Amino acid sequence: MLPENQQQLCDADADQLTSLTREQLKELETKEKTAKEKILEGITIAMPVICGLIAILEYTQIPDKSKNVHPERYFYLLCLSIAAYVVYFIIALVRKRAGVNATYERVHYKAPLFAGLFVFLAFYDYMTLKTGILTQPFVPCMNSIINAFCKDYMMLLDCTLNTLKLLLLGYSAGVFLGLITGITCGYSKKVRYWIDPIIKFLGPIPTSTWIPVTMVIASSLFGGAVFIIALGAWFAVTVASMTGISNVDKDFFEAARTLGASERQLVFRVAIPHAMPSILQGCTQGMSSSCVALIIAEMLGVKSGLGWYMTWQTGWASYDKTFAALFVICFIFTMVTKGLEKIKRHVLRWQNGAEK
Amino acid sequence: MADARVTLKLENIGKSFAKVESDEVIHALHNINVTMESGEFISLVGPSGCGKSTILRLVAGLITPTLGKVSVNGKEIDGPAPDRGMVFQKPTLFPWLTVEKNIAFSLEMRGVKKGNEDKVRRMLKVIGLESFKDDYPAQLSGGMAQRVALVRSLISEPEILLMDEPLGALDAFTRMHMQDEILNIWAEKRQLALMVTHDIDEAIYMGTRVLVMDVNPGHIIADIKIDESFPRDRSSASFVKYRNDILNKLHFGGKKA
Repeated sequence: MLPENQQQLCDADADQLTSLTREQLKELETKEKTAKEKILEGITIAMPVICGLIAILEYTQIPDKSKNVHPERYFYLLCLSIAAYVVYFIIALVRKRAGVNATYERVHYKAPLFAGLFVFLAFYDYMTLKTGILTQPFVPCMNSIINAFCKDYMMLLDCTLNTLKLLLLGYSAGVFLGLITGITCGYSKKVRYWIDPIIKFLGPIPTSTWIPVTMVIASSLFGGAVFIIALGAWFAVTVASMTGISNVDKDFFEAARTLGASERQLVFRVAIPHAMPSILQGCTQGMSSSCVALIIAEMLGVKSGLGWYMTWQTGWASYDKTFAALFVICFIFTMVTKGLEKIKRHVLRWQNGAEK
Repeated sequence: MADARVTLKLENIGKSFAKVESDEVIHALHNINVTMESGEFISLVGPSGCGKSTILRLVAGLITPTLGKVSVNGKEIDGPAPDRGMVFQKPTLFPWLTVEKNIAFSLEMRGVKKGNEDKVRRMLKVIGLESFKDDYPAQLSGGMAQRVALVRSLISEPEILLMDEPLGALDAFTRMHMQDEILNIWAEKRQLALMVTHDIDEAIYMGTRVLVMDVNPGHIIADIKIDESFPRDRSSASFVKYRNDILNKLHFGGKKA
C-alpha cells in the first residue's frame, strides 16, 4: 500500500498520463534535485564567468615581460566571450521558462568546458606574455595573434578562400569519382575485376607520396593539388561504397524485384540507399585525408592558401601570423567536419528510429 | 467460388540446386503437378527442406525451374512482377523509407503517379496503422512490420499473393490475430493466395486447400480440400480430423488402437 499523499498524487496524475508530453515525462521520471545539487549546478553554470574574470585579471594586473602593442584587443575578446556566454545562458533560461529544457541542459553540460577554456587562456597568457617561459615571439601570446589577424586579415581571407576552393574542388571531384567507381564495382563483378587490383595497388600508399611526382607531371600546380586532394577522397569513398553495395542484403533485392523494380531501380532505389551509412563513413574518412593532402600540397608547392601562408610567414619569422593561420585552419576543418556530420545525421535519420 | 480470373499451373516441375562447396546437386523438387485458381487459399505444409519455399519462389519468378513449366493463364512466368505479390518471412521493409513510402514502393517503381496517397491511406486503414504513416520501420514491432509488408505487396492488387511463412517470426497471439487479418483481406478480393507454413493448424485454419509435401526430393503427397466455411473453429471435430489426417500423411500420427 502506498503512503496516503503518494496515493493521492497517483490518482491526480492518472488522468494526465494520457496527455503527457516527452518533456513532462522526463521531468516526472527524474528525481527532485536536492539543495546541495542545486547549489552545485549554480556554481557549475557560473564557473565560466568566474574563470573569464580570472583571465581578465591575469591579463590586466600582472605586468608584461615583453612589448605588447594594442593591449586592449585581447581584453575586448575576453569580455566579448564572457558576454556571449552570458547571452547563451539567458537564452537557455528563457527557453527553460517556456518549458524547453534542452538548451539549459546543454549550457550546464558545456559550462565546465568553457571554464576550462578561460583557465587555459589565462595560463597560456601567463606562460607567454607575462613570464616569457614560452619565448616571444616564437610562441606568440594571444594578443599578438589577434594583432596579426587585424593587420593581415585581407591576406588571410584571400588565402582562406583559395584553400576552400582547392579543398572543395578536389574533395567533390574525389567523392564524385569515388561514388562512380565504388558503386559500379560493388554492383558489377566485371568492373570490379579491373578496378580492384588498382585499388589494392594504390590504396595503401599515403596520398602525400604522390606530391613530388604530381608536382613534376602536372601542367599546373593547382591541377596537381586538386588531383592529390581528390585521390585521397576517391580512395576512401570507393572502398566504402564498394563494401556498402556488395553487403546489401539479398532479401531486399528480392523484395524489390517482386514489387516490380527494374535493374536500374535496384541500384538507385535499393542498393545505394542501403549502402548510404557506409558511403557517408567513406566521405568523412575521405575528408580527413583530403585535408591532410591539401595542407601538404600548399606547403610544398602551391603558391596560395593557408598552408602556403604558414610556411611563408614562418620564413619571415612572423610567428604570430603563422599562428593566426593555424587558427583559421582549425576553424575551417572543424566547420567542415561539423557540416558533414550534420548531413550524415539528416540523411541517416532512419537509423535513429529504434530509440523511440 | 469466385470466377476463375487466373489459373496458375505447375507442370512436371523439377528443381535442382548445385551446392557451392562440393559437386553435389540437391534435388529440391520432383514432378510437381498442380493447378490453382483465383479464389483459392492454398496452404503448403511439410517438413523443412521439402521445397515449399522453392515452389513459391518459382511462382514469384525469383528462380526458374530446372524442368517443367510454371504458367499463369497459359503464359510462362518470366521473372518477378508486381502482379504476383510476395511476402517474406522477414518483413524486408526498406529501413530508409517511411512506412508510407514503403507501401507506395511498388507504385513508384511502376511509375504510377496518380492517387498513390489515397491508395496508401486505404492500405494503412486496412491494417490499422494510420498513425505510423511517417515512422521508419525500425520503430515498428514485428507484427506491425509484417502487416506493412503485407499491404506493400497488396497495393498493386496482385492476382496471386505469395506468402513465405509470413507469420513464422511472430509470437503466438499476434500470429492468431494476423491469421484472421490476412483472411479478411483475402476474402475481400479473393485472389489466389499461396502460403507456406510449417504449422499444420495454421494451414487448415486458413487454407481452402492444403498441399502436404514431403522431402527427398520434395514432392506433393496429398492435396486436401478443406470444406469448411470461415471463420473456422480450431477445436471442432472436423478440424481435428483434418489435422490427424495430415499428421498421418507425414507419419507423425498416433497409432490407432
